Amino acid sequence: MTLHPLKGFPSTLITQTFFLKNEVLESRIQGLYCPAGDFFIDPRGNVPRAVVTHAHSDHGRPGHGSYLCSDTCKPLLKIRIGQDCRIESLPFGKQIKIGEAIVSFHPAGHILGSAQIRIEVRGKVWVVSGDYKPQADQTCEAFELVKCHGYVSECTFGLPVYRWQPEQMIHQQINHWWAENARDGRPSLLFAYSLGKAQRVLAGLDNNLGQVFVHGAVYPFLEHYERAGARLPAVIKVERGQDHDFNQSMIIAPPAVEDSTWTRKFRSARKGFASGWMAVRGARRRRNLDRGFILSDHADWDGLLEVIKATEAEEIKVTHGNGDALTRYLQEQGSNCTVLDGAGIRGEEEE
Amino acid sequence: MKKFASLFHDLDSMTKTNDRLDRLVVYFENACPGDSIWVCWFLAGNRIKGAIKTGELRSFLSERVNLPLWLVEECHDRVGDLAETVSLLAGSNTVNKPISLDETIRKFLMPLRTMDTEERKETLYRAWDYLAMDEMLPFHKLLTGGFRMGVSKGNLCKALARVGKVEPAVIAQRLSGSWNCDDLSLEDILDPSDEAKDQINRPYPFCLAAPLQEKAESLGNIEDWQVEWKWDGIRAQLLTTVGGSGMLWSRGEESMDESFPEVLECIPHLPPGLCMDGEILAWGREGLRSFSRLQKRLGRKNPGPSIQKKEPVRFQAYDLLRVHGEDLRLMPMEKRRARLEDLLKKVPDHLPLGISSLIKEKSWEQLELRREESRDRGVEGFMLKKKDSKYESGRVRGSWFKWKVDPFLADMVVVSAQLGHGKRANLYSDYSLAVWDESGKLVTVAKAYSGLSNDEIEEVDKFVRKNITGKFGPVREVTPSLVFEIAFEGAQSSGRHKSGVALRFPRIQRWRKDKKIEEADTLEVIRGYAGMNDEVCNEAGPKSDADGNLLLF
Repeated sequence: MTLHPLKGFPSTLITQTFFLKNEVLESRIQGLYCPAGDFFIDPRGNVPRAVVTHAHSDHGRPGHGSYLCSDTCKPLLKIRIGQDCRIESLPFGKQIKIGEAIVSFHPAGHILGSAQIRIEVRGKVWVVSGDYKPQADQTCEAFELVKCHGYVSECTFGLPVYRWQPEQMIHQQINHWWAENARDGRPSLLFAYSLGKAQRVLAGLDNNLGQVFVHGAVYPFLEHYERAGARLPAVIKVERGQDHDFNQSMIIAPPAVEDSTWTRKFRSARKGFASGWMAVRGARRRRNLDRGFILSDHADWDGLLEVIKATEAEEIKVTHGNGDALTRYLQEQGSNCTVLDGAGIRGEEEE
Repeated sequence: MKKFASLFHDLDSMTKTNDRLDRLVVYFENACPGDSIWVCWFLAGNRIKGAIKTGELRSFLSERVNLPLWLVEECHDRVGDLAETVSLLAGSNTVNKPISLDETIRKFLMPLRTMDTEERKETLYRAWDYLAMDEMLPFHKLLTGGFRMGVSKGNLCKALARVGKVEPAVIAQRLSGSWNCDDLSLEDILDPSDEAKDQINRPYPFCLAAPLQEKAESLGNIEDWQVEWKWDGIRAQLLTTVGGSGMLWSRGEESMDESFPEVLECIPHLPPGLCMDGEILAWGREGLRSFSRLQKRLGRKNPGPSIQKKEPVRFQAYDLLRVHGEDLRLMPMEKRRARLEDLLKKVPDHLPLGISSLIKEKSWEQLELRREESRDRGVEGFMLKKKDSKYESGRVRGSWFKWKVDPFLADMVVVSAQLGHGKRANLYSDYSLAVWDESGKLVTVAKAYSGLSNDEIEEVDKFVRKNITGKFGPVREVTPSLVFEIAFEGAQSSGRHKSGVALRFPRIQRWRKDKKIEEADTLEVIRGYAGMNDEVCNEAGPKSDADGNLLLF
C-alpha cells in the first residue's frame, strides 16, 4: 500500500489525508472502488455498478447504471432515486460473489435498511460502515459488529462533546414538550430529517396527546417502515387546500421547510428540531428554535471508539465529518488511523 | 441552585424580550431573597473576577475526564463557549441534595480566587461531583464570568419594578455603581420609600443618543435643538458627595478614579452633591488630541507625574444632572445647560475641566456644511439634543441624536477566518481582512465580525470550508477571493497587524460580489487615513482659547 500526502499544503499545518489503495479498496474521484469486483461504494457521478449503504441522498445518488443494496433499503432507495432505476437487493448476512470479491450487508443501525458493507478479497476483509449507530433504535435493524482487517468509519460526531442519552429519555422530552404546547393551545412543529429521523420520532410519540401530522416528504416512507415492523402512530399528511385545527397537534416536517411558506399555517407553533447537532447550544440558537432535542442516528464519541476498537481492525480510515480530532486521538492510543482522502466536512443539513 | 438553573435555561431558550421579562418576574417572586440578590448582581453586569484562569480550568478538566488537552481545546473550538464545553465534557450523575445559589457561590466560587492551585482543583472537582447536569452550564457561566442571559440592565430594572412596585429609574440608580451582595439586599432595592434617601455617591444611568437615520430637516426647527460636537473620548460622570469627596464613573459603571487622578483634583472646587455628565478627552496645551493619545492613558492605573504631563486629559462637561443633592434630570436640557454654564464659570481656569461648546447655525443646511469640519477637528460629528428634553436612562429616540460623519470606506480581501462564538459557534464568521502593499502582497489591516446577514454568513462559511489552505491554531487561512467593503472610523499605526496599521471600529459594510481581489484597496490608501489623523494630533490641531474651548465656531 502507498500513501500520498496531498501536495501543495504545508504538511505540518493541515491534517494529512490519504488515498487508499490496497487489493480490497482504493480511492477514486467517484468514491471508494473495489477493483476485484469492479464496483463502487456510495459513488458520486455516474458509474456502472454502485453498492449502496443506505438511502440518504449523500450515499444513494441517482445516475448510476445499476444498484445493489439491502432488501429493506430497496423501496426507500426507489422513492429517493426513482422507481425505474435498476436496483437489486440482498438480505442481511447473505454472502455473494462479485468478480473476485465476496460481498455481504450487515445492519448499521443508522436508518431502516442501512448497511455496513463487508468485502473480502483473497482472505483480506474490509468493512465500509456507511453511517452507523450502535445505540438502540426501535425503527431499524440493530447494529451488527463485523470483525475485519480494515474499517472505513464515519465520524460525523467525532468529538467528546457529543454523547447521546438513551432514546427513551429524548422521547419523553418530546412528549413533555408536546403536552406543554398543547396545554397552551399551540401546535408543536418538530423538524426532523424526512427519512429515518422522522420515523424514529414518530415511533416515540404518545398519540394520546393529540393528532399527528406529517409533511409530504415524510409520508411515503411510512408504509415501508410499518411493513418492516416499526409501530408508528396514525398520521395525517398535510396537503394544500385542506384545513385542520392544528392547535393541539404535533407536526413533523423536514428542516428544509423551516423558512418556507409551508410553515405559515402553523404561525403560532413552537418549533423544535431533533438532531445530534442540538447538543451544542449555538446550533440551536442560530436557528431561533424554541427547543432542540438531541436525537441522532449517528454514533456518538463513545460509540465510535467502542465500535472501532471492537472491529479489531488493523487499519482505520475515517470519513464523513471532521476526522482530525478522532484520528489524532486514536493515533495517540496506538491505532493505525488516518483521514480518508475526500472526506468532506459534513454540514449540519445532513443529519 | 435548582430554581436558578431553570431560570437560566428558560431565559436561554426564550426568543422574545417580553417572555424573558415575565420569566424573571416569576423567578423573583418565588426565589429566596438571598439568591435573588445574586441574580440582580450578575444581571447588573457584575462578575466574580479572578476565580480561575481559563487555561487552568481546561487543564483541570482534561485531567478529570482523561482527555488530552488539545482535544479539550478542539471541543472548545467547535462549541464556541468554554463554560458549555466544560459542562458537556465534565458530565454529571449526581444524586446530591441541591443547595441554594447563594451557598453554591459562597462554597465553590468565591473562595477559588485566594486558593492555591491544588486547593482550587479539589474545590472544582467537588463542585463537579455536587452539581446536577442542568446546573452545570449556569455554574460554569458564573465561573468563567461570561454571564449573559439576554436580559439588559433596563429589563432587569423593569422586572424588579414590577415585583416591588417601585419606579424602574429608582431601581436603576440603586443598582448602579459598585456594590456587593453583602451590603445591598433585595429589600433595599425594592424599598418603596423616597429616592431622596438613596445615597448620592452613585452615578445615574447614562442617557444614550440614537443615531440620526433620517434627514436632519425632519427634526423640525433648528432653534429647538442644542448642537454640540460629538467628542471622541470616554463617556463619564463626575460626582461629588456631601462629605467633600467624589469620584469618576465610566459608562460601564466602573470607577476610573485611579486612572485619571488629575480630574479628581477638581472636586474641592465643585459644590457638594454634584453629578456632571461629560467626556474624558486627551487634551494638551494645543487643545484636543486624538483618541489614540487617550489610549496611552487607558488601562494604566495610578499614572505617574511624567505620563500625566506628557499625556494630559480633561473632563469636558456637557450636562448637569444633580447639584447640592437635587436631581435635575427632569428639568429641560436648556435649563440644565444654563445651570452648568453658571457653575463652570466659578471654577478656576487651571483645572482640567471644560465645557462642551454649543454650535449655533441658522439652518440645518448650514449645520450640515459645518459637519464637514469634524474630521479636521478630531471629533465624530454632532450631538443633537432637544432643548426641552429630560435626561432619560438608556437609549432614547426622538430627543437625543448622534449625527456622525460618514465612515471611511475601503474594499478589502478576506484572507483568513475563525469560528465565531455563541450564536455563531461552529460558523466561520470572524474574518481577517487585507489590502495590497507596495510589493503586491496582501497584508492584514483589520478583523471584522459584524455586518453580514445570517444568510451571507452561512454562504461565507461554506466558502471558507471549501477553501482552507492552512491552519494556525483556530485560524483558517483561505484562498483570497472574497472582497468586502469595510467601514471604519479611523486608522492608526499599530504593531497588531503585519501592515503596521490598525483600523478603528472596522465593520463589514457590504459584500462586494462584483469585485475581484485585484480591485481591493492598497495599504497606501489606508495609510493616507492614518497620516491624516497624525496631523490632527501633532501639527496644526484645533485652535482653542485659554479655557481650551475650540475657537473656530
